[in-house]
Amino acid sequence: MTHGIWLGITTALSGYNIFMVAIGAFAGTFIGMLPGLGPISAIALMIPVTYGMDPSSALILIAGVYYGAIFGGSTSSILINAPGVAGTVATAFDGYPMARQGHAGKALAIAAYASFSGGTIAAIFLLIAAPALAKVSLSFQSSDYFALMVLGLTAVAAFAGKGKFLKAAMMTIFGLMLATVGTDADSGVSRYTFGNMNLIDGISFLLLAMASFALSEALMNIIENQKMTKEEKEALKKEIGSLKVSKEELKTIAPVIGRSSILGFFVGVLPGAGATIASFLAYGMERSIANVKEKLKFGKGSLRGLAAPESANNAACSGSFVPLLTLGIPGSGTTAVILGALISYGIQPGPTLYVEHPALFWSVIISMYIGNVILLVLNLPLIPYIAKLLATPRQILLPLVMFFSLIGVYLVTFNTFDIYMMVFFSIVAVFLRLVDYPMAPMILGFILGGMMENNLRRALTISDGSLSFLWERPITASILVITIILLVWPLLSQLFFDKITST
Amino acid sequence: MVKSRIGALFFLIFSAFYFYKSFDIHLLKGTYYETMTAQTFPYYLGILGMLVSTLLLIFSFIKIDKEDLLDLEKLRTYDFKKGLYLILAMIFYGYTIRSLGFVISTIIFLILGFRILQEKNWKVILLTSFSISILFWLLLTQLLGIYVENGLIFEYFFGAQS
Repeated sequence: MTHGIWLGITTALSGYNIFMVAIGAFAGTFIGMLPGLGPISAIALMIPVTYGMDPSSALILIAGVYYGAIFGGSTSSILINAPGVAGTVATAFDGYPMARQGHAGKALAIAAYASFSGGTIAAIFLLIAAPALAKVSLSFQSSDYFALMVLGLTAVAAFAGKGKFLKAAMMTIFGLMLATVGTDADSGVSRYTFGNMNLIDGISFLLLAMASFALSEALMNIIENQKMTKEEKEALKKEIGSLKVSKEELKTIAPVIGRSSILGFFVGVLPGAGATIASFLAYGMERSIANVKEKLKFGKGSLRGLAAPESANNAACSGSFVPLLTLGIPGSGTTAVILGALISYGIQPGPTLYVEHPALFWSVIISMYIGNVILLVLNLPLIPYIAKLLATPRQILLPLVMFFSLIGVYLVTFNTFDIYMMVFFSIVAVFLRLVDYPMAPMILGFILGGMMENNLRRALTISDGSLSFLWERPITASILVITIILLVWPLLSQLFFDKITST
Repeated sequence: MVKSRIGALFFLIFSAFYFYKSFDIHLLKGTYYETMTAQTFPYYLGILGMLVSTLLLIFSFIKIDKEDLLDLEKLRTYDFKKGLYLILAMIFYGYTIRSLGFVISTIIFLILGFRILQEKNWKVILLTSFSISILFWLLLTQLLGIYVENGLIFEYFFGAQS
């Protein structure tokens, strides 16, 4: 393990890779800041840039983009009360009031310190948890993997929010269906290609991610005709004030950061939960344990209310890498896109990643730490200038986002059919967004689809066609029991809980 | 109209079509007796899709949330026309990228995009579209060494690259 860590440190600290983290963090911050464009779009837009890079450097860049996007989301939450990322909605609760009181600089600094500490604490946890889990998961068989994927997909739906369970489940199934398009990996038979040669290879994950996120988010932005309000424009022109945080203030937020980071990390590890839920939970926890006097400050610019969600969302980002790196199973839309990228570099994450590509495994973990340092040292002082970029008119920005997504996919295949397919999927995505169906479960289902089918086939072959593999192994059975609980609970609560509360 | 119901109908039709088409998957000889063929997964996915979308449909009648109602007032404020024009611009981009080449088609696409979104300053429009497409082309061909086709129009005038 020490050898692995050393290898990771030397890889991550090479000049080129530090440069990559910096570029990633910077680009991520900018994209994450734009209202409507989240970390999935940011990562998808950067993936074409990483083709041709060494996988370690590519993943390091992507991890930087992920952190940057979350940090950028906090910046727009604090400055203009328009969270670019769902994970930073809770940041706006207390960050924006602080900015209105003229303490935008302090709020940004606290957000940066909290993110940094959250990321750091979580990186240490990751350092311990990931190899341990990787060792355990070496004993997993295909039936366990199948069960884990079912659990992951179910959890995403279960955590989708009140009344959204079935919608998220439907989107997951939609993703699984799209994954079956193309040549069947086992028999070589083509499925759902309708005789079109362009579909023989299936739908590329990058195409789907770009169309359903970057392109459709840009289109939604145009359709909704969101213009910056006068208030937002004025808020951007204001000086952000001093970045200094006093010692006493640091003392107040230090325990908050500690608690929220640990909570955030564990929520991040859970499949389906992730940064958004982590930040809301941390905010809620902090408010409930605060004394009466403190409680009144929440929502009006409380330092604790700002530090809690900020440290939790960054810690959750690191936490979500645990199942991705050790099991090869993503727990969220964002990590699903990262998994898709890894597979396209020819690397299959999973328990063997730790053994076969130790440099990659460890350098990603180490570079997460470096990413956090860069966000603190490089991005924080630059924030006043980056914030000015937010004022770039959207009529210039949005066509550029569209161009980058179209060309990012086209340059991989040089097939114009891909452009038409992207347009088609972005129209479908806009329609589904208008009727409130979530996109992240679809991309997760799409990326897990192929793997799920393969593992199911393997498990069925081993058990000679009998479904007994579902309950014969204790690991498989217990994972499936958890899945069933997750599956039944929201359905029952949707049916009965509302009736009880209404009576 | 309820939003989840519109979505449920869409998915019910889609899943039914998907299920129906799963029978078209051609099976190789000798695989008929295998437990899991290329058809198995899509077949059950189709059933699952129909089941979940039917459930969604039923729920949309049992319990209607205020948030789930389609807000017609809000929809009227939406600018679908601009969205449609941009979609057409993207299709046009796909149609011209090979014939006109990367640089020219990108310039046209960006100009169209900026104009559709009502940027009025032509200096900004021309400067941004020309500089972005030429810089990006230089980055691709000179720095990253990626081969980008010149476009049929160039080949017509200057002959094919050897």
